[in-house]
Amino acid sequence: MNPETVQTIIDDLGALLLFTMILIIAARQISHAIHAVAAQSLLIAIAGAVLATATGNEDLWVIAGVTLAIKAIVLPWVLHWVVRRLNVRREIEPVIAISATLALAVGVVVMSFHLSASLGPVRQAITGNALPVGIALTLLGVLVMATRKTALTQMVGLFASENGIFFTAMAVTQGMPLIIEIGVILDVILAALVMTIMVLRVRSTVDADIADLDRLRG
Amino acid sequence: MTGERPLTLVLLEMTLLVLLGPLVTGTIQKLKALLQCRQGAGLLQPYHDIIKLLRKGTVQADTTSGFFRSIPVLVLAATVAAGALVPVVRSGPPAFPLGDALMLLGLLALARFLTAVGAFDAGGAFGGMGASREMTIAPLVEPVLMMVVFSTAVAAGTTELGALAAHRGASWILAWRAADFLGFAAMLVLLPAETGRIPVDNPDTHLELTMLHEGMLLEHSGPGLGCMMLASHTRQIVAFGLVSALFFPVGLADGAGVTGLLLGAGAFVAKILVLATWLALVESSYAKLRFFRVPQYLGIGFVCALMALALRIL
Amino acid sequence: MAQMLLWVLPLVPTVTALLMLTTRDRRILSVIDVGSSAVLFALTLVLAREVATGGPQALGVLRVDDLGLVFLLLLVILTLAVSIYTVGWLRQAVEVGNMKAESLRSYFVLMHAFVATMVVTVLADNLGVLWIAMEGTTITSAVLIGYHGHQHGLEAAWKYIIVTTIGISFGLFGTVLVYAAATDVMGGAGAMSWSAIMKVAPMLDPGIVRIGFIFVMVGYGTKAGLAPMHLWLPDAHSQAPTPVSALLSGILIKCALLAIIRFQTIASAACGPAFPAEVLLVFGLTSVVVATPFILVQQDIKRLLGYHSIEHVGIVALGLGFGGSVGTYGALLHVVNHGITKALAFFAAGTAIARYGSRDIHVIRGLLAVAPIGATLLMLAALSLAGMAPFSIFVSELMVLRAGIGHGHWVAIAIFLVMVVVIFAGLLHHVGAMVFGEPTAAAGREVEAWSPLLGMLLLAAIMVLLGLTIPASFDGLLERATEVVVG
Repeated sequence: MNPETVQTIIDDLGALLLFTMILIIAARQISHAIHAVAAQSLLIAIAGAVLATATGNEDLWVIAGVTLAIKAIVLPWVLHWVVRRLNVRREIEPVIAISATLALAVGVVVMSFHLSASLGPVRQAITGNALPVGIALTLLGVLVMATRKTALTQMVGLFASENGIFFTAMAVTQGMPLIIEIGVILDVILAALVMTIMVLRVRSTVDADIADLDRLRG
Repeated sequence: MTGERPLTLVLLEMTLLVLLGPLVTGTIQKLKALLQCRQGAGLLQPYHDIIKLLRKGTVQADTTSGFFRSIPVLVLAATVAAGALVPVVRSGPPAFPLGDALMLLGLLALARFLTAVGAFDAGGAFGGMGASREMTIAPLVEPVLMMVVFSTAVAAGTTELGALAAHRGASWILAWRAADFLGFAAMLVLLPAETGRIPVDNPDTHLELTMLHEGMLLEHSGPGLGCMMLASHTRQIVAFGLVSALFFPVGLADGAGVTGLLLGAGAFVAKILVLATWLALVESSYAKLRFFRVPQYLGIGFVCALMALALRIL
Repeated sequence: MAQMLLWVLPLVPTVTALLMLTTRDRRILSVIDVGSSAVLFALTLVLAREVATGGPQALGVLRVDDLGLVFLLLLVILTLAVSIYTVGWLRQAVEVGNMKAESLRSYFVLMHAFVATMVVTVLADNLGVLWIAMEGTTITSAVLIGYHGHQHGLEAAWKYIIVTTIGISFGLFGTVLVYAAATDVMGGAGAMSWSAIMKVAPMLDPGIVRIGFIFVMVGYGTKAGLAPMHLWLPDAHSQAPTPVSALLSGILIKCALLAIIRFQTIASAACGPAFPAEVLLVFGLTSVVVATPFILVQQDIKRLLGYHSIEHVGIVALGLGFGGSVGTYGALLHVVNHGITKALAFFAAGTAIARYGSRDIHVIRGLLAVAPIGATLLMLAALSLAGMAPFSIFVSELMVLRAGIGHGHWVAIAIFLVMVVVIFAGLLHHVGAMVFGEPTAAAGREVEAWSPLLGMLLLAAIMVLLGLTIPASFDGLLERATEVVVG
């Protein structure tokens, strides 16, 4: 594949990633948000495969495979399982109105593109639009975490955030060291595991959502 | 760049759209029926309905003004005129000054406005409610449609649909830029709103309090109602035509040869079928949104369109 | 030899953690705990000697230089003190039922896993490994914070894991950006290694490094407890078991500061020292200002100490921001001083809490009458924390101040001084009320246990020593560490 094609494909995937992010932000039901984040991870895996073919960097195949298996299949499945197991409210209760969050999201996306457009020739170190899309996804993931009250949605926001970082990291032209990426994925899995256990634990002792607890103040 | 489209071709395309319109509705109804494991009415049912209505007499409320009678004709005229602006079988700009995508959106908005005026004029409670709701949604849909058009127009340097399609040429999905994906996503979100379908509106019933478009037709009868129905079928196919001209100009003939034109017509039918299937799937798998949720749903489209535009410009 | 030590150091707590899985007996566990910490301490001293004579040592992704050594020394001293303190603390906690006797080993295993991840954080040369280890500290310490398993503990743990995980995902993003800038100059190989990046740092693209540094600052700043990303800190410090609080406040947030210093050196070289200094000053001042009102109105002694940590992290950031040799030296000295003093304060507070069965400042009264040694130590720690001469924190705060005056940051100096004075008054008011006066009915009258006292005395001795004089070898270490940062 010639570099232009790769760049076009990465840009296209970036647009689709932004679309899934919007779906996550606009989701009214937890299961929709989980589906969207799974789709997002799938797109990340595809991006990894495309970059692997393009650059001949075999590490990227591994990363794409692991992303597909862990983030697109296993983690969403676990989240779904927790939703079923806990019988949590399926409706998402945002702290601020979803339409306001959407408006903020547009601002964040525009700002990210503006920021990356202000950079000099160093932009070539990262393929295509991966830098602004990565920044936007990371910040929007945090936005979701900050504006949602249920533990599971906060986890979805966290995964989306991580997806943004991965997208940028994959697109660094020289590729990231494999061991680092694997370590990062391992950490994400462990963090998800610990969070899931905490959610279940709180649910079993006080029958409340852990993110809803607000006794500690001042 | 391809040649210009002569007047006869434009007229031919327009007629084709008007004639095919009811068939598209029939197809969607049939697909929905099949998805729901029903037999469903025949594909040609909308034609039968319209013909039957045209043969009937007219009954009007005492409160209506004389203007009410002309509403259906005006709505149909505006919609059909919008149809003239859509390239169906050939790309390229028309040979004479005709109008662009903005004109098309304007004409559709005019038709929508006239429909609402008619509903108010009749003074019925349902009509008024439907009209006020329609007018709440319209300002959310129309600017977004315009942004989608702009986001592609910026790349082509023109808003004329034929020229726009020609600029894209036979580019297929791989040649899509990032903004096209977002624009198309916005279009998919808006399509149900523009064609009055679930999850924004429900075309199957006159009785729900939540209905939008159908509520406005309650006071019409006979040939007038027939015109209104034909207008809404045409509006639907025009919206489809707009999507395919903006995003899938593949198959549009470059020259004037008969084979090219037939190929273009075939491609158009295929594209329409795909979109019709999409709508049928959406209608079968989602419930109608509560009215106050609709702005948020359309907000997704708005954000996508805005980002598409931003991507194009930045 | 020294290079091998680099790998042995993180292995010691790891192996200890595995070893602890074999037994459930509290005494044996405590013995292994203290023994392992002592071994870690001894090995670090050996390593320090090697570095002092042979310069920085590197092996694979790990590397130790004088800068890392400062933090490593603080880490092992605190670990040793915590281990000694834990012996008596744990016996008491099991007796009153705060800790379940049958699940003690999981506590120890997590504790050593936590220490192991912190050792890797301090020794990491590869910025990716630094990030991974830092996230590792989050995961292990989150479980420790929620260890008691009650609702409040879990709430604090959730807040902690969510806030810091978001935070350091920003840190990862910043790391990726700096890596991208480095690959642009030197190609892919080694572009994640801090020492390799430092060699080419002046050639990096300033624009992308600037964005990267802001991401890193927000990211690791969250973990360091800098305001306004400090939201997790008071909750986590107040809900965690006391030894964990001491480690969190004493060394964990300092590890995050080390990460910030690493990136600051890169950013200073790439886009001039003014930019990172400004960012550090803003965050530092915000932290000092934000912490003050909360310290004044606090009812809960551990939360009080938590907010106080925010202030001191702010002071370190200010010192780094004022820059120059004086400011950086002062900041590094402050890291050590605050780490030791704050751990001492948490220990003393922990024993007082155990005695009164409450964390409420209004319940803990007249400590001097029931536990004279513990009360004296608490008072000493509070005096030092407030910045009283001749204790160690006074020395380092003075250096930070001098650096600020030297560079003419008058506004920052003014705000800083006002806040320090207010906090001085507030802290002494709170602690004075706790130490003196009539003991309340809740006060336990039992004799003070020896092992917590031993742990505290160890720290108090270092605290007093560093206030009176800085030993020549330690001064040399700090000088060389300052050179690493300032260049």
